[in-house]
Amino acid sequence: MTEVYRKFGRVVRYENGIVISVSEAGEAFEKDGVFQARPAVEEPAQTRVSVPHPDPELAAFVAETQTNVAQTLLSVRSGRIERLIASAGTAKHETNGSKWTEESRRVHISLVNPPLRALIDLASFDVETVATIADALARAGVERDAPKRLRLAPNVSAALLPSLIGELAMEQSGGGFDGRGRPIDTRAVTHDPPPNWYRPGYAVRPVRAWLNIRALPFGRIDPDAPAGIALLEPVHGTSLRVLCVDGDAVFPTTVDASHIAAVSRAEPVWYPYAAGSFGAEMML
Amino acid sequence: MTDTFAIASRDELWLRGMLVESRLMHGVATQRGDVIEASDARDDELVRACDSATEKTRAAMASFRDARVRIVVRATNDGDVETTMTIAVDGVSVVTMPSDALADYELLHRPRNGAAPLRGAIVWHNGSAAVLLHEAFGHASEHDAAPVAWPSWLSIEAPLASRRETFRDVPLTRMTRLVARQTDAPFALPDERIEVQLVAGGGYDPMTDIVTVDVAVSSAGPFTIRHSRTEIAASLTGASGEPIRYPGVICSREGQELYVASHAPVMITDGLI
Repeated sequence: MTEVYRKFGRVVRYENGIVISVSEAGEAFEKDGVFQARPAVEEPAQTRVSVPHPDPELAAFVAETQTNVAQTLLSVRSGRIERLIASAGTAKHETNGSKWTEESRRVHISLVNPPLRALIDLASFDVETVATIADALARAGVERDAPKRLRLAPNVSAALLPSLIGELAMEQSGGGFDGRGRPIDTRAVTHDPPPNWYRPGYAVRPVRAWLNIRALPFGRIDPDAPAGIALLEPVHGTSLRVLCVDGDAVFPTTVDASHIAAVSRAEPVWYPYAAGSFGAEMML
Repeated sequence: MTDTFAIASRDELWLRGMLVESRLMHGVATQRGDVIEASDARDDELVRACDSATEKTRAAMASFRDARVRIVVRATNDGDVETTMTIAVDGVSVVTMPSDALADYELLHRPRNGAAPLRGAIVWHNGSAAVLLHEAFGHASEHDAAPVAWPSWLSIEAPLASRRETFRDVPLTRMTRLVARQTDAPFALPDERIEVQLVAGGGYDPMTDIVTVDVAVSSAGPFTIRHSRTEIAASLTGASGEPIRYPGVICSREGQELYVASHAPVMITDGLI
């Protein structure tokens, strides 16, 4: 039998007007080639998680989220929110002799201006980014050919990065532990099998993955180039359908992003794509 | 007002008759107004019901030697114990119940895709038109979409209820089943036609009112249709017989996968390809 992995956690999620608080404790292991996952039933989850008492924490999260939601709604007056999901969680993990605690935050917003839908995934409320996208979406015209040179915003490049593994110079950012309790070291990302394991939930069989990847800076970003500021569809390979801003013009366009001409030296921002991806401005 | 939902589920993956993954899940969610408190609390009775149904289903696994089979048993506090089996052979799958599993497994071994030209009318066999209507009628109803003009000979029963996959999920208004019936519908098989046997999946986009259906097995091979609901309603030119159970629709919305029983007569559409 493999080492038992245990996770004790609590997550509070705001989902289109409903707040749900979930506490659970689970364990997973492999025995005779069979992956098995089950709740750890010997005691309730809440007693094993050193998070604040549920009610005050829930109240604080609800108050904070309501403020963020209100600000977001105000910032997108010109558009329509189709979906708004925000969550905050704390989890303790144990496996292979390692114990660690993680805190996570996620925000997913889809904004619509038919027939366009902008998809926004963030690790925290970023009202400015949401407002910028909402404003542009409201002014969007018809589809155009992709500009010859395009600047990708960090929230777009982060979604693309997992498709460029082995094609673009990037590194795994060190820190913390992986899904098998092994330290995550900073190292070059290559075509080789990743040294670490990704386990998004206790009931999911861990898989090898590069964690928290970031592109290494090079080249020069042209601040005057048209900008792809938001995804209009999930990324398909290296094909991106983005909302493009070129001066006063805003339009949807589809671009092949297999060749990156530059990566910004600015501090990258972490986004919840794949097993973690840092976004920085990129030039195509 | 307080609403309590309790569930236990077993989810097993079998490859060529061998168990490779097994998951137990249980929990309770209590909703007061707009707030839900949920935990993985265990209801022993639900877990026992789940295990009992799982054990009975395992007995059939030896019959599916060349298949990938996922068994999901869900027992909930409304007294329901639901067992679904997703059986895949060579990348084509059906979703079925234990009582129909062997017959549906054999369906996967019948002659496969043909090479007919992709043109003409579509004849939807095996109840597969239920998938088209699941997207074009059922999901549109969930989103309160504007009505479109369906043929007068067609009646569709697609009741909605508050449903969720697990105790971790926010309940959504979802279809419980879809049954399409015809009354005195015309039925003239066109000379040029594509015969659809199995469908791989589909989708409905409430923003654009566009329905997408991916056909897995047909006389013209796999293909995709993508049309507005209005175009789909207008394309229905005939139907014949009683509703036929389509082997499966696992419906995913907001990441929550739920089984939706689906039935439709043999139907003809024209103008979709």
